Amino acid sequence: MLIPRVRPVPITGYVNLNALGSTRAQILEGLATGTTGLASPSEPWGVDTAVGEVRAELPTLDGELAPWSTRIGGMAALLVAGLDEELRRARARWRSERIGLFLGTSTGGATATERAFQHYVAEGHLPPDYDFVRQHTFGALLHVVATLTGARGPGWVISTACTSGSKPFATAQRLIAADMIDAAIVGGIDTLCALTLHGFHALQALDRQPCRPFHADRAGISIGEGGALALLERDGEARVVLEGVGETSDAYHISAPHPEGLGARTAMEAAIAQAGCSPGDIHHVNAHGTGTQLNDVAEAKAISEVLGNDVPVVSTKGYTGHTLGAAGAIEFAFAATVIEEGWIPPSLGAAPVDPAVAINICTERTSGTFRRVLSNSFAFGGNNVSLLVRGP
Amino acid sequence: MEVGVAGLGLWMPGFAGVASWLAGVPDAEVDVPSGVSLGRVNRRRAGVLGRALADAIAESFDDSGVDPSVVPTLVGSSIGEAKTMVGILDQMWRSGEPVSPAAFTVSVHNAASGLISIAHRNRGYASSMAADAATPAASLYEAMGLVATTGSAVAIVCGDEPVPFDLVSEEMSWPLLAAAVVLVPLDGQHRVRARMRLTREAPVTIEPPEVSDDVARHPQTGLLDLVDAVARGASGCVALDRRGGVDRALITNEVST
Repeated sequence: MLIPRVRPVPITGYVNLNALGSTRAQILEGLATGTTGLASPSEPWGVDTAVGEVRAELPTLDGELAPWSTRIGGMAALLVAGLDEELRRARARWRSERIGLFLGTSTGGATATERAFQHYVAEGHLPPDYDFVRQHTFGALLHVVATLTGARGPGWVISTACTSGSKPFATAQRLIAADMIDAAIVGGIDTLCALTLHGFHALQALDRQPCRPFHADRAGISIGEGGALALLERDGEARVVLEGVGETSDAYHISAPHPEGLGARTAMEAAIAQAGCSPGDIHHVNAHGTGTQLNDVAEAKAISEVLGNDVPVVSTKGYTGHTLGAAGAIEFAFAATVIEEGWIPPSLGAAPVDPAVAINICTERTSGTFRRVLSNSFAFGGNNVSLLVRGP
Repeated sequence: MEVGVAGLGLWMPGFAGVASWLAGVPDAEVDVPSGVSLGRVNRRRAGVLGRALADAIAESFDDSGVDPSVVPTLVGSSIGEAKTMVGILDQMWRSGEPVSPAAFTVSVHNAASGLISIAHRNRGYASSMAADAATPAASLYEAMGLVATTGSAVAIVCGDEPVPFDLVSEEMSWPLLAAAVVLVPLDGQHRVRARMRLTREAPVTIEPPEVSDDVARHPQTGLLDLVDAVARGASGCVALDRRGGVDRALITNEVST
């Protein structure tokens, strides 16, 4: 297994947006009280399920960015605004050409295309304000965030389905180690769309009720939306530190996880090896924990093999739903919050835990010192990422 | 940072490989990529984009001699599986049919990346990226970061299929095209065709090959131009984006120097 030679990178700021809210206070309130953000959808998607919608008012992009104004663009703008102070400081420290921008998404502007396509079917032509390049493509999201942040260094979108939001952290860490950049804005953003809701419905993977990862009678996933951004710098005052990232593949099946969680295990092992620590140094895991029968059991086996059965584990998807291409970034933010706040939220909906899951799923809020946390993300294509974050 | 270019690959209509491209005579029978390296089951799962990407990267594996079961692989594509997505939308809203689960699982941008990793039993790093016409440059930057920090070879394949015509004007049309390169560290352990480093805004000194207008506007033509320059033994500066982007590759051909 290849382990990139990198150094720990300070994460000097981060911001999170999901169904629990758009501010740190709102999100902490939801986690602390065990309140789900999942509910019936506010618009008819044609699928009977709970979803994790972002309810915050999203800004409309104006001026030169007006043609790029979409739901995902609005989420991006809200996130950038939340990181404004840190970005100002970073721009003063580093040349803009040395600030990279690496974003994850799986849906991109799919919502805009779906609306345009519905109009096309009904009217025989696309709506006049629809622009494939500025509204659909991943490059559109990149353009919006680059414009709003002033990042002029290397930039791209990573789209590896549900690991899309995690992999940008690894890219930034490598490019800083290779002295190609000094800082990077990383993260992931996804919106609800008909394609994913109907697609997971077709796979019979959607729970009709809010999802219950690791529960004995879990019945599938809930889809959510949102995003998170983080600022990584070569040096600086860290809120948390990115120590290691494991990136592996199952090489098994396009959509089913390896039944023994092989790729999940090697991803966690690689993150720990890159950090130069041992499994005993891991104090908490934010699991991928989607709520499907296969995924949760396979991940639990992998965690058990790598870390044993005592490390406290949660899935936060009971709060937000599975935010797909944003999940890795949103759950990084949850992992960082645990380190900073000193408590783990209950794994919502997990009790009673599946007897086939032998690991320590936290069904109650748990206080303590959690210095090193793994955050797992696994995806279609057998793509696996595990982030290892520690306190400063 | 300088790396070596150790292998090349290409698939586009008329040209099933770099040698055929260099010969310059399109073969009318080359109209559909084989995807043979994916194996029977996953070849059926893959769309034409996935097969073209698989054909191009397989050629670059053979050309470079790297072990495809361990080499990190990067797939770059501007619009990825947009055609599959539009097909699903068409099923849902024009035909009123339920969504095909099989189609949904290969509608993700990294479908080809996953199928390639399965085909070669590669359990290591795999990624899938997009940056419009800067996708070739972005893929090369990501690969450089991997080479620098792992000391490993890295395989890159960039490709796109035609934009679903329903969504764009005809002026935005381009053909199916995939190009691949394998980058290696300059450690004396690999046979190297050329040395390469990336830069921005340097004067372009290697003229790109003459291609039709629809190929010229293809978002991955920058990688085709790099493949062409290395394959022809040229040395100098190649533009990685024909749409006015600033990224360049400076290459020194090992054969010509």
